[in-house]
Amino acid sequence: MAAAAPCAHSPIALMSREMTLRPGPVPQDLGGRPVLPGQHRLEGDSYVLRASHVAFHYRRGEGLVVERTGAGPDDAEELLLHGSVYAAVASLNGFMPLHASAIAAGGAVVAFTGPSGAGKSTLVAGLARLGFPLFCDDTLVLDIAGPGPVRCLPGHKRMKLWLDAAELVGAPPQGLVSADYPKYYVTATGGDVAEILSLAGLVFLEEGAAQQLVPVTGGEKIARFDDDHYTRALFDQATRHTAAERFALHARIAAQVRMARFVRPLRREDFDDSLRFLAARLLDMVAP
Amino acid sequence: MTAVAKLANSFVETSIDAEVVLMRLSDGDFFSLDGTAVAVWQAIDGDRDRAEIVAAVGEQFGEAAGVVAADVNAFLDELAAAGVIAG
Repeated sequence: MAAAAPCAHSPIALMSREMTLRPGPVPQDLGGRPVLPGQHRLEGDSYVLRASHVAFHYRRGEGLVVERTGAGPDDAEELLLHGSVYAAVASLNGFMPLHASAIAAGGAVVAFTGPSGAGKSTLVAGLARLGFPLFCDDTLVLDIAGPGPVRCLPGHKRMKLWLDAAELVGAPPQGLVSADYPKYYVTATGGDVAEILSLAGLVFLEEGAAQQLVPVTGGEKIARFDDDHYTRALFDQATRHTAAERFALHARIAAQVRMARFVRPLRREDFDDSLRFLAARLLDMVAP
Repeated sequence: MTAVAKLANSFVETSIDAEVVLMRLSDGDFFSLDGTAVAVWQAIDGDRDRAEIVAAVGEQFGEAAGVVAADVNAFLDELAAAGVIAG
């Protein structure tokens, strides 16, 4: 029997094709302005990212070019490829990237978002250990085409955790992400998901004295869904939505997705309690 | 009397979880309406004047117009100040 594979026109196949790297020259400018080391820019149907030792150029339908311009660690290249470049390629193909890590629960996706350091990756690694398979780490790509349910594309499964967080969730560290970004790659225990699932829940991570999962409703959903992370900025630049179109999209997602604030102490000794508290409530978030 | 009208070009709206959410297009500010505020908003049909809106909201909540008039008028003033209605 043939192995299951995404059909050629599926969003997974499209992203896989568009993210395929080939070596080549990367232009110095985009839109008539130089893209200097440490900068990235999305303009029209193209994107350029330039780091000190590597640069990427993507143009919709033409694929992704990488130019290694000096000595540098390959792991830093992977970090850029799976972060900013992935979000830009998704945005330029009509997908919406969220700065979120996610697990699967009851056949749907629950995503966790918050600023850097909020504990997104550590939380999903812990939930994976409790039987909620990893769906993605750090960037969740939404397929927002059509009027139906918002669907999620499965994302990267190599999680990036600080060493103490890897120890906390019992995941053996597999290698340093980068000397400049000393997190470690880990593989979540408990398996992962490779299929497209609908987005059922979005949880905003906060630190607080006591555990609580506070529903977010009405207008607060839309307000909280606005995100100033670079992933959303790339999407906004790619879509060039008017304020009204942006509002309509956010309203559509807010109407479909349960949202909540997960407040919990960030002390190591409280981590397992927080996980169990959340795990006991996750299936309610995905209930029809 | 002057009819109260929504200034449709100044905002977009949606309904989520029993709230009406308005976004003012000039600056992107949000206004969430719930409870009685939703009833007032829905009573603004472009034909009713303030007194008729007060009467409609009072009837919906089983209250005399005099009981709700101050609150409804205050809310209509807020909406007018926000630039989403006229009248």
